[in-house]
Amino acid sequence: MPSGLTLLEFLRERLYLTGTKEGCGIGECGACTVLLDGKPVTACLVLAVEADGCSVETVEGEATDGQLSVLQRVFVETGAVQCGFCTPGMIMSARGLLRRNQNPSDDEIVEAMAGNLCRCTGYEAILEAVRLAAVAVVARPKAEPLTRETGSEDSRFLRGAESTRKDGRR
Amino acid sequence: MLGRFDYQRPSTLPEAVRLLAESDGPAAILAGGTDLLVDIRGRRHDPRILVDIKRIDALRRLDVDSGGALTIGAAVPLNEIIERASIRRTFPGLVQAAESIATCQLRNRATAVGNLCNASPAADMAPILLALGADLMAWSARGERTIPLSSLFVGVKKTSLAPGEIATELRIPAPKPGLRSGFLKQQRLRGHDLAVVSAAGTYAPSTGVLRLAVGSCAPTPLLLEPIEVGRSSKAVVEEKAVRAVQAAMWPISDTRASADYRRAVLPVLVKRLVADLLVEGGAP
Repeated sequence: MPSGLTLLEFLRERLYLTGTKEGCGIGECGACTVLLDGKPVTACLVLAVEADGCSVETVEGEATDGQLSVLQRVFVETGAVQCGFCTPGMIMSARGLLRRNQNPSDDEIVEAMAGNLCRCTGYEAILEAVRLAAVAVVARPKAEPLTRETGSEDSRFLRGAESTRKDGRR
Repeated sequence: MLGRFDYQRPSTLPEAVRLLAESDGPAAILAGGTDLLVDIRGRRHDPRILVDIKRIDALRRLDVDSGGALTIGAAVPLNEIIERASIRRTFPGLVQAAESIATCQLRNRATAVGNLCNASPAADMAPILLALGADLMAWSARGERTIPLSSLFVGVKKTSLAPGEIATELRIPAPKPGLRSGFLKQQRLRGHDLAVVSAAGTYAPSTGVLRLAVGSCAPTPLLLEPIEVGRSSKAVVEEKAVRAVQAAMWPISDTRASADYRRAVLPVLVKRLVADLLVEGGAP
Protein backbone atom coordinates (compact mmCIF):
# COMPACT_ATOMS: atom_id res chain seq x y z
CA MET A 1 0.00 0.00 0.00
CA PRO A 2 1.40 3.46 -0.80
CA SER A 3 2.44 5.29 2.37
CA GLY A 4 0.77 8.48 1.16
CA LEU A 5 -2.70 6.92 0.98
CA THR A 6 -5.01 8.31 3.66
CA LEU A 7 -7.34 6.09 5.65
CA LEU A 8 -10.20 7.98 3.98
CA GLU A 9 -8.91 7.15 0.49
CA PHE A 10 -8.31 3.55 1.52
CA LEU A 11 -11.89 3.18 2.78
CA ARG A 12 -13.51 4.83 -0.22
CA GLU A 13 -11.28 3.88 -3.12
CA ARG A 14 -9.89 0.49 -2.12
CA LEU A 15 -12.67 -0.98 0.04
CA TYR A 16 -15.49 0.89 -1.75
CA LEU A 17 -16.93 1.89 1.63
CA THR A 18 -18.19 5.23 0.37
CA GLY A 19 -20.35 6.06 3.39
CA THR A 20 -17.43 8.03 4.81
CA LYS A 21 -17.28 11.37 2.99
CA GLU A 22 -14.50 13.74 2.07
CA GLY A 23 -15.29 17.36 2.82
CA CYS A 24 -12.34 19.65 3.46
CA GLY A 25 -9.52 17.10 3.54
CA ILE A 26 -7.71 18.97 6.31
CA GLY A 27 -9.50 17.88 9.47
CA GLU A 28 -11.82 20.86 9.78
CA CYS A 29 -15.26 19.61 8.73
CA GLY A 30 -15.62 16.14 10.26
CA ALA A 31 -17.39 14.57 7.23
CA CYS A 32 -14.78 11.78 7.23
CA THR A 33 -15.10 10.95 10.95
CA VAL A 34 -14.57 7.26 11.73
CA LEU A 35 -13.79 5.47 14.98
CA LEU A 36 -10.18 4.40 15.26
CA ASP A 37 -9.79 2.00 18.18
CA GLY A 38 -13.19 3.26 19.33
CA LYS A 39 -12.33 6.98 19.19
CA PRO A 40 -13.55 9.55 16.66
CA VAL A 41 -10.82 10.77 14.30
CA THR A 42 -10.87 12.47 10.91
CA ALA A 43 -9.87 9.79 8.39
CA CYS A 44 -8.40 12.43 6.04
CA LEU A 45 -5.62 13.07 8.58
CA VAL A 46 -4.76 9.44 9.25
CA LEU A 47 -2.56 7.47 6.88
CA ALA A 48 -3.96 4.06 5.99
CA VAL A 49 -0.66 2.53 7.11
CA GLU A 50 -1.01 4.18 10.53
CA ALA A 51 -4.25 2.23 11.05
CA ASP A 52 -2.43 -1.09 10.65
CA GLY A 53 -3.39 -3.22 13.67
CA CYS A 54 -6.19 -0.84 14.76
CA SER A 55 -9.95 -1.32 14.68
CA VAL A 56 -11.72 1.01 12.24
CA GLU A 57 -15.49 1.55 12.41
CA THR A 58 -17.41 3.41 9.74
CA VAL A 59 -21.04 4.32 9.23
CA GLU A 60 -21.46 1.06 7.29
CA GLY A 61 -21.17 -0.73 10.65
CA GLU A 62 -24.27 0.94 12.07
CA ALA A 63 -27.16 -0.90 10.44
CA THR A 64 -27.70 -4.59 11.13
CA ASP A 65 -29.48 -6.87 8.69
CA GLY A 66 -30.84 -3.91 6.79
CA GLN A 67 -32.24 -2.25 9.94
CA LEU A 68 -30.97 1.16 10.91
CA SER A 69 -29.36 1.50 14.32
CA VAL A 70 -31.23 3.48 17.00
CA LEU A 71 -28.80 6.32 16.41
CA GLN A 72 -29.45 6.41 12.67
CA ARG A 73 -33.17 6.08 13.29
CA VAL A 74 -33.34 9.15 15.54
CA PHE A 75 -31.40 11.18 12.99
CA VAL A 76 -34.13 10.34 10.47
CA GLU A 77 -36.98 10.90 12.92
CA THR A 78 -35.81 14.30 14.12
CA GLY A 79 -35.06 15.70 10.68
CA ALA A 80 -31.37 15.85 11.53
CA VAL A 81 -30.60 14.81 7.95
CA GLN A 82 -31.11 17.19 5.08
CA CYS A 83 -28.61 16.87 2.24
CA GLY A 84 -27.02 14.08 4.24
CA PHE A 85 -23.39 14.69 3.32
CA CYS A 86 -22.30 15.41 6.91
CA THR A 87 -24.49 12.68 8.41
CA PRO A 88 -22.08 9.71 8.37
CA GLY A 89 -19.51 11.79 10.22
CA MET A 90 -22.15 13.09 12.63
CA ILE A 91 -23.29 9.53 13.34
CA MET A 92 -19.74 8.38 14.05
CA SER A 93 -19.01 11.32 16.38
CA ALA A 94 -22.25 10.62 18.23
CA ARG A 95 -21.41 6.91 18.38
CA GLY A 96 -18.01 7.75 19.86
CA LEU A 97 -19.64 10.00 22.46
CA LEU A 98 -22.30 7.47 23.48
CA ARG A 99 -19.69 4.79 23.83
CA ARG A 100 -17.66 6.78 26.37
CA ASN A 101 -20.60 8.55 28.01
CA GLN A 102 -24.07 7.06 28.11
CA ASN A 103 -25.62 10.04 29.84
CA PRO A 104 -24.09 13.11 28.21
CA SER A 105 -25.07 16.63 29.26
CA ASP A 106 -26.01 19.16 26.59
CA ASP A 107 -22.58 20.74 26.87
CA GLU A 108 -20.93 17.37 26.39
CA ILE A 109 -23.06 16.69 23.32
CA VAL A 110 -22.19 20.08 21.82
CA GLU A 111 -18.49 19.53 22.52
CA ALA A 112 -18.53 16.05 20.98
CA MET A 113 -20.34 17.25 17.85
CA ALA A 114 -18.42 20.53 17.45
CA GLY A 115 -16.00 18.95 14.98
CA ASN A 116 -18.76 18.15 12.50
CA LEU A 117 -19.99 20.93 10.27
CA CYS A 118 -23.48 20.92 8.75
CA ARG A 119 -24.52 23.55 6.20
CA CYS A 120 -28.23 22.64 6.11
CA THR A 121 -29.84 21.97 9.45
CA GLY A 122 -28.71 24.66 11.85
CA TYR A 123 -27.64 21.92 14.27
CA GLU A 124 -30.67 22.01 16.58
CA ALA A 125 -32.16 18.85 15.09
CA ILE A 126 -28.80 17.12 15.23
CA LEU A 127 -28.32 17.91 18.91
CA GLU A 128 -31.86 16.75 19.59
CA ALA A 129 -31.15 13.49 17.75
CA VAL A 130 -28.10 12.81 19.91
CA ARG A 131 -30.07 13.64 23.07
CA LEU A 132 -32.78 11.19 22.05
CA ALA A 133 -30.25 8.56 21.07
CA ALA A 134 -28.66 8.85 24.51
CA VAL A 135 -32.05 8.31 26.14
CA ALA A 136 -32.70 5.34 23.89
CA VAL A 137 -29.28 3.82 24.51
CA VAL A 138 -29.78 4.09 28.29
CA ALA A 139 -33.24 2.59 27.99
CA ARG A 140 -31.94 -0.27 25.87
CA PRO A 141 -28.32 -0.95 26.74
CA LYS A 142 -28.04 -3.63 24.06
CA ALA A 143 -29.00 -1.01 21.46
CA GLU A 144 -31.34 -3.38 19.72
CA PRO A 145 -32.17 -1.78 16.40
CA LEU A 146 -35.64 -0.36 15.98
CA THR A 147 -37.67 -1.83 13.20
CA ARG A 148 -39.72 0.24 10.83
CA GLU A 149 -42.83 -0.91 12.69
CA THR A 150 -41.73 0.17 16.16
CA GLY A 151 -40.98 3.63 14.87
CA SER A 152 -43.53 6.40 14.57
CA GLU A 153 -43.82 9.78 12.99
CA ASP A 154 -43.21 11.39 16.34
CA SER A 155 -39.60 11.47 17.47
CA ARG A 156 -40.80 11.44 21.08
CA PHE A 157 -41.62 7.74 20.65
CA LEU A 158 -38.08 6.96 21.70
CA ARG A 159 -38.56 8.28 25.20
CA GLY A 160 -41.27 5.67 25.73
CA ALA A 161 -39.77 3.00 23.51
CA GLU A 162 -39.40 0.46 26.28
CA SER A 163 -42.92 0.83 27.68
CA THR A 164 -44.41 0.79 24.21
CA ARG A 165 -42.79 -2.56 23.63
CA LYS A 166 -43.97 -3.95 26.97
CA ASP A 167 -47.48 -2.89 26.11
CA GLY A 168 -47.22 -5.13 23.13
CA ARG A 169 -48.04 -2.27 20.83
CA ARG A 170 -46.17 -1.95 17.66
CA MET B 1 -2.58 10.55 -1.89
CA LEU B 2 -0.99 13.07 0.38
CA GLY B 3 2.44 12.72 -1.17
CA ARG B 4 5.21 10.28 -1.94
CA PHE B 5 7.20 9.32 1.10
CA ASP B 6 8.43 6.28 2.92
CA TYR B 7 6.70 5.39 6.20
CA GLN B 8 8.42 3.72 9.12
CA ARG B 9 6.96 2.77 12.47
CA PRO B 10 9.82 1.97 14.85
CA SER B 11 9.11 0.40 18.23
CA THR B 12 12.14 1.81 20.04
CA LEU B 13 13.77 5.22 20.35
CA PRO B 14 17.22 4.11 19.12
CA GLU B 15 15.56 2.67 16.03
CA ALA B 16 13.70 5.95 15.44
CA VAL B 17 16.91 7.98 15.88
CA ARG B 18 18.72 5.68 13.43
CA LEU B 19 15.95 6.03 10.82
CA LEU B 20 16.12 9.82 11.06
CA ALA B 21 19.94 9.80 10.86
CA GLU B 22 20.04 7.45 7.85
CA SER B 23 17.38 9.24 5.83
CA ASP B 24 18.79 10.46 2.50
CA GLY B 25 16.35 13.36 2.28
CA PRO B 26 14.25 15.47 4.56
CA ALA B 27 12.70 13.35 7.31
CA ALA B 28 9.72 14.21 9.48
CA ILE B 29 8.59 12.87 12.82
CA LEU B 30 4.93 11.83 12.75
CA ALA B 31 2.98 11.92 16.01
CA GLY B 32 -0.68 13.01 15.71
CA GLY B 33 -0.16 14.32 12.19
CA THR B 34 -2.75 17.07 12.56
CA ASP B 35 -0.25 19.74 11.53
CA LEU B 36 2.25 17.64 9.53
CA LEU B 37 -0.23 15.88 7.24
CA VAL B 38 -2.06 19.14 6.54
CA ASP B 39 1.28 20.74 5.59
CA ILE B 40 2.21 17.81 3.34
CA ARG B 41 -1.17 17.99 1.63
CA GLY B 42 -0.73 21.73 1.15
CA ARG B 43 2.76 21.15 -0.33
CA ARG B 44 4.35 23.26 2.39
CA HIS B 45 6.37 20.27 3.48
CA ASP B 46 7.76 17.47 1.31
CA PRO B 47 9.56 14.90 3.46
CA ARG B 48 11.09 11.74 1.99
CA ILE B 49 10.38 9.69 5.10
CA LEU B 50 7.88 9.86 7.95
CA VAL B 51 8.96 8.24 11.19
CA ASP B 52 5.84 7.41 13.17
CA ILE B 53 6.68 7.49 16.89
CA LYS B 54 3.26 6.42 18.22
CA ARG B 55 4.21 2.76 18.74
CA ILE B 56 7.24 3.54 20.88
CA ASP B 57 6.09 2.50 24.34
CA ALA B 58 8.49 4.87 26.10
CA LEU B 59 6.73 7.83 24.47
CA ARG B 60 3.26 6.80 25.64
CA ARG B 61 3.90 7.69 29.29
CA LEU B 62 1.37 9.85 31.07
CA ASP B 63 2.02 9.67 34.79
CA VAL B 64 2.51 11.57 37.98
CA ASP B 65 5.43 10.47 40.18
CA SER B 66 5.30 10.17 43.97
CA GLY B 67 6.48 13.76 44.34
CA GLY B 68 3.73 15.08 42.06
CA ALA B 69 5.79 15.77 38.91
CA LEU B 70 3.91 15.07 35.69
CA THR B 71 5.38 13.38 32.60
CA ILE B 72 3.63 13.64 29.24
CA GLY B 73 5.07 11.42 26.49
CA ALA B 74 5.37 12.65 22.92
CA ALA B 75 2.83 10.10 21.67
CA VAL B 76 0.11 10.97 24.19
CA PRO B 77 -2.93 12.57 22.51
CA LEU B 78 -4.55 15.63 24.11
CA ASN B 79 -7.74 13.79 24.99
CA GLU B 80 -5.79 11.42 27.24
CA ILE B 81 -4.56 14.41 29.24
CA ILE B 82 -8.06 15.89 29.35
CA GLU B 83 -9.62 12.65 30.56
CA ARG B 84 -7.13 12.09 33.40
CA ALA B 85 -8.96 13.28 36.55
CA SER B 86 -5.78 13.70 38.60
CA ILE B 87 -4.31 16.10 36.03
CA ARG B 88 -7.52 18.14 35.94
CA ARG B 89 -7.33 18.47 39.75
CA THR B 90 -3.67 19.37 39.94
CA PHE B 91 -3.09 21.32 36.72
CA PRO B 92 -6.50 22.73 35.68
CA GLY B 93 -4.87 25.31 33.38
CA LEU B 94 -3.21 22.53 31.40
CA VAL B 95 -6.54 20.80 30.82
CA GLN B 96 -8.24 24.11 29.91
CA ALA B 97 -5.57 24.74 27.26
CA ALA B 98 -5.86 21.21 25.85
CA GLU B 99 -9.65 21.43 25.77
CA SER B 100 -9.50 24.70 23.85
CA ILE B 101 -7.69 23.09 20.94
CA ALA B 102 -9.58 22.20 17.76
CA THR B 103 -12.17 19.44 17.99
CA CYS B 104 -12.71 16.09 19.67
CA GLN B 105 -11.54 14.24 16.54
CA LEU B 106 -8.29 16.19 16.37
CA ARG B 107 -7.69 15.96 20.12
CA ASN B 108 -7.78 12.17 19.75
CA ARG B 109 -4.71 12.50 17.49
CA ALA B 110 -2.92 15.77 18.29
CA THR B 111 -0.27 15.66 21.01
CA ALA B 112 0.95 18.29 23.48
CA VAL B 113 4.57 17.71 22.44
CA GLY B 114 3.63 18.00 18.76
CA ASN B 115 1.84 21.27 19.46
CA LEU B 116 5.08 22.63 20.95
CA CYS B 117 7.40 21.23 18.25
CA ASN B 118 5.26 22.79 15.53
CA ALA B 119 6.23 26.06 17.28
CA SER B 120 3.36 28.19 16.11
CA PRO B 121 3.27 31.56 17.89
CA ALA B 122 -0.34 30.58 18.62
CA ALA B 123 0.48 27.13 20.07
CA ASP B 124 -2.16 26.74 22.77
CA MET B 125 -0.17 24.37 24.98
CA ALA B 126 2.87 26.66 25.08
CA PRO B 127 1.83 29.45 27.49
CA ILE B 128 0.56 27.17 30.23
CA LEU B 129 3.54 24.81 29.96
CA LEU B 130 5.90 27.81 30.08
CA ALA B 131 4.12 29.11 33.17
CA LEU B 132 4.31 25.67 34.79
CA GLY B 133 8.08 25.62 34.19
CA ALA B 134 8.04 22.50 32.00
CA ASP B 135 11.12 20.96 30.43
CA LEU B 136 11.16 19.15 27.11
CA MET B 137 13.34 16.05 26.93
CA ALA B 138 15.03 15.28 23.61
CA TRP B 139 16.82 12.19 22.33
CA SER B 140 19.40 11.83 19.60
CA ALA B 141 22.41 9.69 18.71
CA ARG B 142 24.35 11.87 21.16
CA GLY B 143 22.06 10.89 24.02
CA GLU B 144 19.40 12.69 26.01
CA ARG B 145 19.21 16.38 26.82
CA THR B 146 16.87 18.64 28.75
CA ILE B 147 15.50 21.72 27.01
CA PRO B 148 13.87 24.25 29.32
CA LEU B 149 10.72 25.20 27.45
CA SER B 150 11.69 28.87 27.63
CA SER B 151 14.60 28.11 25.27
CA LEU B 152 12.70 25.84 22.85
CA PHE B 153 11.05 28.52 20.75
CA VAL B 154 13.45 30.51 18.58
CA GLY B 155 11.14 31.91 15.90
CA VAL B 156 7.93 31.37 13.98
CA LYS B 157 7.71 27.59 13.51
CA LYS B 158 11.35 27.27 14.61
CA THR B 159 12.67 25.40 17.64
CA SER B 160 16.08 24.75 19.12
CA LEU B 161 15.70 21.01 18.40
CA ALA B 162 18.58 19.78 16.21
CA PRO B 163 17.90 17.85 12.99
CA GLY B 164 17.47 14.19 13.87
CA GLU B 165 16.63 14.96 17.48
CA ILE B 166 13.36 13.56 18.83
CA ALA B 167 11.35 15.36 21.49
CA THR B 168 10.39 12.51 23.80
CA GLU B 169 8.48 13.89 26.76
CA LEU B 170 7.46 16.90 28.79
CA ARG B 171 8.36 17.07 32.44
CA ILE B 172 6.25 19.35 34.56
CA PRO B 173 7.66 19.95 38.04
CA ALA B 174 5.62 18.98 41.09
CA PRO B 175 3.17 21.77 41.90
CA LYS B 176 3.83 24.03 44.88
CA PRO B 177 1.18 23.48 47.60
CA GLY B 178 -2.17 24.89 46.51
CA LEU B 179 -0.88 25.83 43.04
CA ARG B 180 -3.55 27.46 40.90
CA SER B 181 -3.38 27.57 37.14
CA GLY B 182 -5.51 28.87 34.32
CA PHE B 183 -5.65 29.49 30.58
CA LEU B 184 -7.70 32.02 28.62
CA LYS B 185 -7.91 32.40 24.87
CA GLN B 186 -9.52 34.97 22.64
CA GLN B 187 -10.69 33.49 19.36
CA ARG B 188 -13.21 34.32 16.67
CA LEU B 189 -14.77 30.90 16.50
CA ARG B 190 -14.71 28.04 18.98
CA GLY B 191 -12.72 25.04 17.77
CA HIS B 192 -12.17 26.07 14.19
CA ASP B 193 -9.80 28.96 14.71
CA LEU B 194 -6.42 29.67 16.21
CA ALA B 195 -5.98 32.03 19.11
CA VAL B 196 -6.15 35.76 18.45
CA VAL B 197 -4.26 36.05 21.72
CA SER B 198 -3.92 33.73 24.70
CA ALA B 199 -2.69 33.94 28.27
CA ALA B 200 -1.86 31.35 30.88
CA GLY B 201 -0.69 31.63 34.42
CA THR B 202 0.08 29.93 37.70
CA TYR B 203 -0.08 31.28 41.20
CA ALA B 204 1.13 29.55 44.33
CA PRO B 205 -0.21 31.26 47.48
CA SER B 206 2.49 29.46 49.49
CA THR B 207 5.28 31.31 47.65
CA GLY B 208 3.32 34.37 46.52
CA VAL B 209 4.71 34.07 43.00
CA LEU B 210 2.59 34.67 39.89
CA ARG B 211 3.90 33.34 36.58
CA LEU B 212 2.35 34.45 33.32
CA ALA B 213 2.93 33.50 29.70
CA VAL B 214 1.19 34.74 26.59
CA GLY B 215 0.67 33.52 23.03
CA SER B 216 -0.05 34.95 19.57
CA CYS B 217 1.48 38.30 20.37
CA ALA B 218 5.11 37.84 19.26
CA PRO B 219 7.02 35.47 16.93
CA THR B 220 7.16 32.97 19.80
CA PRO B 221 5.09 32.31 22.90
CA LEU B 222 6.45 34.51 25.70
CA LEU B 223 7.18 33.72 29.35
CA LEU B 224 7.12 36.86 31.47
CA GLU B 225 9.30 37.58 34.50
CA PRO B 226 7.66 36.18 37.66
CA ILE B 227 5.64 38.69 39.65
CA GLU B 228 5.97 38.78 43.44
CA VAL B 229 2.44 39.24 44.69
CA GLY B 230 3.35 39.66 48.36
CA ARG B 231 0.71 41.73 50.14
CA SER B 232 -0.19 43.82 47.10
CA SER B 233 -3.84 44.38 46.32
CA LYS B 234 -5.44 42.64 43.37
CA ALA B 235 -5.58 45.94 41.46
CA VAL B 236 -1.86 46.52 41.91
CA VAL B 237 -0.99 43.00 40.76
CA GLU B 238 -3.27 43.30 37.74
CA GLU B 239 -1.62 46.57 36.83
CA LYS B 240 1.88 45.05 37.15
CA ALA B 241 0.84 42.10 35.00
CA VAL B 242 -0.66 44.31 32.31
CA ARG B 243 2.45 46.50 32.18
CA ALA B 244 4.68 43.42 31.92
CA VAL B 245 2.59 42.05 29.06
CA GLN B 246 2.48 45.37 27.23
CA ALA B 247 6.26 45.68 27.48
CA ALA B 248 6.82 42.17 26.16
CA MET B 249 4.30 41.90 23.33
CA TRP B 250 5.02 42.87 19.71
CA PRO B 251 2.11 41.52 17.75
CA ILE B 252 1.51 41.51 14.02
CA SER B 253 -1.66 42.09 12.02
CA ASP B 254 -2.89 39.01 10.20
CA THR B 255 -6.11 37.40 8.96
CA ARG B 256 -7.29 36.85 12.52
CA ALA B 257 -6.79 40.28 14.03
CA SER B 258 -4.91 43.55 13.74
CA ALA B 259 -1.92 44.27 15.92
CA ASP B 260 -3.90 47.10 17.52
CA TYR B 261 -6.72 44.75 18.45
CA ARG B 262 -4.24 42.31 19.96
CA ARG B 263 -2.65 45.14 21.97
CA ALA B 264 -6.08 46.13 23.21
CA VAL B 265 -7.48 42.72 24.05
CA LEU B 266 -4.53 40.91 25.63
CA PRO B 267 -4.44 43.20 28.71
CA VAL B 268 -8.14 42.49 29.22
CA LEU B 269 -7.51 38.76 29.08
CA VAL B 270 -4.50 39.04 31.42
CA LYS B 271 -6.46 41.07 33.98
CA ARG B 272 -9.23 38.50 33.94
CA LEU B 273 -6.74 35.67 34.34
CA VAL B 274 -4.89 37.35 37.20
CA ALA B 275 -8.16 38.11 39.00
CA ASP B 276 -9.17 34.45 38.68
CA LEU B 277 -5.80 33.18 39.89
CA LEU B 278 -5.68 35.45 42.94
CA VAL B 279 -9.13 34.46 44.14
CA GLU B 280 -9.32 31.70 46.70
CA GLY B 281 -10.65 28.50 45.16
CA GLY B 282 -8.60 28.72 42.07
CA ALA B 283 -8.72 28.81 38.40
CA PRO B 284 -11.18 30.17 35.88
